[in-house]
Amino acid sequence: MKASDVFSYAFSAIRLRKLRAGLTILGVVIGIAAIVALLSISQGLQNSISEQLQTGFATDTLIVSTGGGFGPGEMASTGSDFKLSVNHTQIIDEIENVDMSVAVIQKSCYVESGEREFRLTVAGVDFAKYADIYSGTFIAKSGKIPLNPENEIVVVGKRISDPWKNGTLFCDVDYTIKIIWTTYNASTLKPENKTYMGNVVAVLEEIGGFGLGPSDSSVYIPISQAQTFFETNECNTIIVKVENDDETTIESVSEAIEVAFSDQVSVISSTAVLNTISSVFATIEFFLAGIAGISLLVAGVGIMNIMIVSLMERTREIGILKALGMKSRTVLSIFLSEAVIVGLIGAAFGVASGWVLANVVAVVFSGGGLPGVGRGNHAATAGGMVITPVLTPTVFLGALAFGLIVSVVFALYPAWRASKLKPVEALRYE
Amino acid sequence: MTTPIIQTTNLRKTYMLGKVRVEALRGVDLRVEKGDFLAILGPSGSGKSTLLNMIGALDKPTEGKVFIEGIDVSTLDDNGLADLRRKVGFVFQFFNLIPRLTAKGNVELTMAIPGLGKKERGKRAEELLETVGLKERVGHKPAELSGGERQRVAIARALANSPNFLLMDEPTGNIDSKTSKEIMALVIRLNKEKGMTTIVITHDQHIAAQAKRKVQMLDGLIIREEVS
Ligand SMILES: Nc1ncnc2c1ncn2[C@@H]1O[C@H](COP(=O)(O)OP(=O)(O)OP(=O)(O)O)[C@@H](O)[C@H]1O
Ligand SMILES: [Mg+2]
Repeated sequence: MKASDVFSYAFSAIRLRKLRAGLTILGVVIGIAAIVALLSISQGLQNSISEQLQTGFATDTLIVSTGGGFGPGEMASTGSDFKLSVNHTQIIDEIENVDMSVAVIQKSCYVESGEREFRLTVAGVDFAKYADIYSGTFIAKSGKIPLNPENEIVVVGKRISDPWKNGTLFCDVDYTIKIIWTTYNASTLKPENKTYMGNVVAVLEEIGGFGLGPSDSSVYIPISQAQTFFETNECNTIIVKVENDDETTIESVSEAIEVAFSDQVSVISSTAVLNTISSVFATIEFFLAGIAGISLLVAGVGIMNIMIVSLMERTREIGILKALGMKSRTVLSIFLSEAVIVGLIGAAFGVASGWVLANVVAVVFSGGGLPGVGRGNHAATAGGMVITPVLTPTVFLGALAFGLIVSVVFALYPAWRASKLKPVEALRYE
Repeated sequence: MTTPIIQTTNLRKTYMLGKVRVEALRGVDLRVEKGDFLAILGPSGSGKSTLLNMIGALDKPTEGKVFIEGIDVSTLDDNGLADLRRKVGFVFQFFNLIPRLTAKGNVELTMAIPGLGKKERGKRAEELLETVGLKERVGHKPAELSGGERQRVAIARALANSPNFLLMDEPTGNIDSKTSKEIMALVIRLNKEKGMTTIVITHDQHIAAQAKRKVQMLDGLIIREEVS
């Protein structure tokens, strides 16, 4: 029998039981849609995170802090008494392959403008060096970032200027904002407020998402001012610019820094963070795909069940076909073709609906991207991140193939049984 | 003596139903020459259908042999049997048409199995249905046809692949006598004009009377044969 005839015969059998075929296909659709949706969302999420991390903290930078682990925030708490100081940049600058380094003093303060007040992260940095390291993100949208500031000035992130995203500004260039820092008197333990009246000289370009570099919701003051205002030389982090982003260079510099500080600091490279994130994502993806895969297996069992029922119903038909001289392998291919049709239709609709689902989820997700001022620390602000689901060709073809394979594999046994029926016995079947 | 088109030697078929042995055939020797018209008669359970199924290669004997044009059927493998069945025109008592296919579709399917092209088989299916007097019914499904019409579709189907012989198991058992006469007239014409070798199982003495040879069966044996 010609392949085209086998296929159209199989198709006529499927058409006969539309509802049943529809439900079988639905099983495959759900399984495939789940896989495609989960994988394309997580791929999209991964892409946007790595993208933002890459712009957020240039790949040729290292972050030195006294704390262990991820994030240079105020959580720098180790057993050691070692404090990182602004002057330590000089030690780091001596190390081979280091281009420059910049200290960051970071405190959480109240910031007042007009009637309103927010608790925000205030970071003291050397504007010239910081702008050099983060040339992609520490850029003025309005105003100008002064390279050698002497006065009490501030540079603010986009969100500080326009926190509600509706034109009502908290502050803008030429505003004067009041930074209030509360210290506790060492002997009386009473709070004492210090104020810093800063003239806003620049508002940064929107950075979006999060990174370890500049953020939309930070306030920047010159390092010298920070040292005076916070009465300290202690810094939270030192950001190091390496001459190139070769993995070997990055590693050797990291090691050299650790050695220079007798292992009392931790050095995080952006590539290491990216790698960690990628591997975390790979694991998550694997799990998600596994769960979705299980639902597809359930669909496969459904296919098998339906085919066995249909096999019994069609025993007599198979007897007729064999009595007419149909070969066993043709009977087998008719049944497998039915599975191929179910699998293909199911997989095609599954990929399409999975893709639609992924986009719907993405829209809902970014719609909830919380406007307003993030109070998070300098490190990570996830709000406002846009996920664009990504359907890679591998996922696309893989899902199609998987749907098809599952359908065919589960149809193998029923199809084999159909092909083995003996004509007389099948014809006798009531 | 030429090779007979069908020959059985000491054909036996035993079924085991639990511990009970049912001997459906107990040594049947039959020889059919090309162009013969045989009627097989006998009471219910005498083994008529069992014999016909062996000849049509639908079933395997417990003992003995079936030769089709001199070829020992027991030497054929699964594919060989399928090829053989394509050259047998089988007409069943209960029509055995495929319900979801039309009259034409049923006849066409038979030709699609050996791989005949769509155009040719469509044309031939229409011709065959016209021959059996169903020109007006080609597009009807079995459920939309009368018993007699269904049996005519079954005959058209049996003839589709130009079979070497026709095997009919009580072809008129489920239809009225007028229609059954018409159908038998058709079969007799085929035998006379085209020399189609035919074996027909029947309970109907009128039909048997028209056959060249009348074979009487009882308890799995041929007990008598009349040649007219
Ligand atoms: N698959 C089977 N299993 C067990 N016994 C069977 C089987 N097929 C046939 N038989 C038995 O073999 C005997 C012959 O059956 P067969 O169908 O050949 O009779 P028949 O002459 O065609 O009868 P009828 O005129 O009623 O069609 C019967 O006794 C029947 O019970
Ligand atoms: Mg019978």
